[in-house]
Amino acid sequence: MKKLFTRFQEIVLLVSGWFTSIMVLLIVFFLFKEGIKIFGKKPVEEGFVMAVHPNNLVNSISPGMCKDIFDGKIENWERLGGRSYPIELATLEDIGSLYTEEEIGSEMEHLDSCFNDYINKHEGALISLPKSAVSSSFKGKIISVKKISLNSFIRGIEWFPTSKPVAQFGILPLITGTLLVSLGAILFALPLGLACAIYMAEITNKRTRSFMKPIVELLAGIPSVVYGFFGLVVIVPLIQKVFHLDVGETALSGSIILGIMALPTIITISEDALRNVPVSMREASIALGATKWQTISKVLIPYSLNGITTAIALGIGRAIGETMAVLMVTGNAGNLTLSYLKPIRTIPATIAAELGEAPAGGMHYQALFTLGCVLFVFTLAINIYINFVTKRRRM
Amino acid sequence: MKRILIALLAVVTLANAQNVKIKGSDTVLPLAQKEAEAYNKKGVGKVSVTGGGSGVGIACLIDGSTDIASSSRKIKMDEKLKLQDAGKKFKEVIIAKDALSIIVNPSNTVSQLTREQIEGIFTGKITNWKDVGGSDMKIVVYSRESSSGTYEFFKEFVMAKKNYTSAALNMPATGAVVQSVSQTKGAIGYVGLAYDNNGVKQLKVSYDKGKTYIMPSMATAKNKTYPIIRPLYLYYNTKDETRIKPFLDFCLSKEGQAIVEKTGYVPLD
Amino acid sequence: MDAKRKQQVVFTAIKTMSFLVVAILVIILGFIFINGIQVISWDFLTKMPEDGMLKGGIFPAIVGTVCLIFGSMLFAFPIGVLSGIYMNEYLKEGPIKQFIRLMTDNLAGIPSIVFGLFGMAFFVNKLGFGDSILAGSLTLAILAIPVIIRTTEEALRSVDKTYREASYALGATKLHTIKKVILPIAFPNILTGFILSVGRVSGETAPILFTVAAYFLPKLPQSIMEQVMALPYHLYVMATSGTDIEKARPLAYGTALVLIFIVLICNLAANIIRNRYTKTKK
Repeated sequence: MKKLFTRFQEIVLLVSGWFTSIMVLLIVFFLFKEGIKIFGKKPVEEGFVMAVHPNNLVNSISPGMCKDIFDGKIENWERLGGRSYPIELATLEDIGSLYTEEEIGSEMEHLDSCFNDYINKHEGALISLPKSAVSSSFKGKIISVKKISLNSFIRGIEWFPTSKPVAQFGILPLITGTLLVSLGAILFALPLGLACAIYMAEITNKRTRSFMKPIVELLAGIPSVVYGFFGLVVIVPLIQKVFHLDVGETALSGSIILGIMALPTIITISEDALRNVPVSMREASIALGATKWQTISKVLIPYSLNGITTAIALGIGRAIGETMAVLMVTGNAGNLTLSYLKPIRTIPATIAAELGEAPAGGMHYQALFTLGCVLFVFTLAINIYINFVTKRRRM
Repeated sequence: MKRILIALLAVVTLANAQNVKIKGSDTVLPLAQKEAEAYNKKGVGKVSVTGGGSGVGIACLIDGSTDIASSSRKIKMDEKLKLQDAGKKFKEVIIAKDALSIIVNPSNTVSQLTREQIEGIFTGKITNWKDVGGSDMKIVVYSRESSSGTYEFFKEFVMAKKNYTSAALNMPATGAVVQSVSQTKGAIGYVGLAYDNNGVKQLKVSYDKGKTYIMPSMATAKNKTYPIIRPLYLYYNTKDETRIKPFLDFCLSKEGQAIVEKTGYVPLD
Repeated sequence: MDAKRKQQVVFTAIKTMSFLVVAILVIILGFIFINGIQVISWDFLTKMPEDGMLKGGIFPAIVGTVCLIFGSMLFAFPIGVLSGIYMNEYLKEGPIKQFIRLMTDNLAGIPSIVFGLFGMAFFVNKLGFGDSILAGSLTLAILAIPVIIRTTEEALRSVDKTYREASYALGATKLHTIKKVILPIAFPNILTGFILSVGRVSGETAPILFTVAAYFLPKLPQSIMEQVMALPYHLYVMATSGTDIEKARPLAYGTALVLIFIVLICNLAANIIRNRYTKTKK
């Protein structure tokens, strides 16, 4: 009996031990299961198709072109390789206002003939109609919209997930935005953090160190939403004033806040790395007549370079995934820019801001999960890199 | 300590009353919250309100975790299909209307715009205030998040369905739009009439190519001269009608509509 | 003497930068404290929000956050500690241990918004918990587990080898040794990890956005299947939405101060325990 109990306890331990691995796999499974669905789909509103006049030469259309047409930037079929006709747009609502209620029918049972009528009369027509209105007698030509591919998803420069009738799922501006703030954060945090680590590990006495250590820990403990709030009420107006900008919600504001948030990671890990340098190395350097700074810059830093790169990588990892603070201070404008003085939009902020309003299970919802996958891949790559570096150091 | 006890007691009594849950649009939230507060005081039933967004509300109606979904946009085709798949019939009630006003920084000399000009500004065709009669200053466009009902309504109704410029700053909530516009000289944005307009300037709007310009206000919204106005919806499962009806009747009653006006929304006529 | 000169300059720069880091913290804390302390009162802490959240207090948000802390720790603490024990005491160095460690590190590195996505897809939708304390707590628990595992492992590793050997020499089994000898010694350090993860859990916003947090609730939660308000989400809401941001500002400062206060207490407690423990060990 007692043996059985012991065995039971050991099994509990075993299961707990594997818990994190199971969780990671579950997260991967659910994230990718939902996120992968977006690929191969046509970014057309669900239940709708696009159609043109039967004589139209155009057979397929890309989502980007479609948006330009609806935005009034493309006005003639010639631009799409068709005959020169002005494009005439019609959606379900337009049909509803063009035809009387009698013609459409009380339960929209004659909708198909209305669409048929419209497309016959307009040679330049481009219509978006519900699939249910496409009957066997439908005269118009249904054109295909290009499917979403990994390529178009990652390299597309426009993110209009709710645009109708064709949505735009291009995440390049979100990726550059995310990388831009993260890089800025590290550029801000690295000099400060490294200086602080050197100071704590090599220069100051034990008492100052024991005073600074809890401060760094506290800096790590402050919730991100508090940082965001601080950024919103202090940093954003400050940036606007200092640089005489039109808007203060910029990549720079985000970088500064994220930099402060990345500081504790960088300080703690670099300090550990510096402390782990064998005493013999230090002594040898001092014995050769080097000053303390020469020892630090020529011996200690090169020796702990691996640890410092780990710190940088972890700092970037934290910055890439940070959500609330960024959401509150960067302005969330999805434009493709490399300027620090312009508003940008990051991947985590996009998920946080849009998931609540996206209809569950729809294409927009799936696209947000795909963004989650992208984020996961980023952080996974960073972790694997760190693992690789630390292993090399052990060897 | 006493207060905690009272709160706990209230919790116990609450559990017995009939509960109705409203969930959804953050635009409808302040209104639904006040209607619920007033209705709960009557002691007939208890209504609790949570936000999350129009999409979340309708998703919850589909899976049955809310009784009423509030929405600042009409239910979408695919959401209708999902409700059908779940074997649920729903009804739609309009409880109030919301007028959107166009706001700019108080230092801006422009005081009126036509719909076409607004479209140009929000699509990114017009980028400087001097093109619409103001001083030489870059226009900073503030918009709501792309998934919010307000964003879609504005796009369909004011921008002739054209898309926003990529340079637009998307704020997570309307309050943030007001805040930013009041801080930013060249800013333009849109907010519901219910929001406090201290620190920003409302613009007159023309929907007839500049013949008449109308100032947004409760009066012009009520007499229908102000054009940018939209309905706010509640959706519910027809199965629960008997349980929900008293609250809906309250909202549509004179008393309920008075609350609508007091909260800053436009009452139905 | 040039090198000495240079060292002096560099060290001054380093010292300045280090104190800049301290200054940043002091500025942030001071700013929130000065603006927030004015609204903190007994009423603010124990009253319901009123008048479209422009007046009244933050009581339901405090209750909600306490619920989430309890809920998440109920799951995270046992699993984390057991996992740490398994890793340090049972598994030998090798590919399996490396794999589990890699996975734990990965879990720790996953951005909090991804936990939110997962929580929504798995707990809320798949398991059908809906937006509830249960779903929110579980999501937060997964986030806290790697932290607890790591501190547990470190705590166990720092237990002197002689204790183990003495116990085995007396004929105790492995499990018995762990339970009766090693855990009691390592306990204070494990507790530190626990307290720090409480601090972390209480401040997370992104994971609870779509799993539990409510904008406004007129009542306190009655079961674990209900939504609650939570302090971090409340702060976010107060800072960005609402019909009158200027009027809500003081309340936002107050909420931020309460949040920081929780974190401060957690850090302080963790430090006290750590210090006392290291002293007695000597």
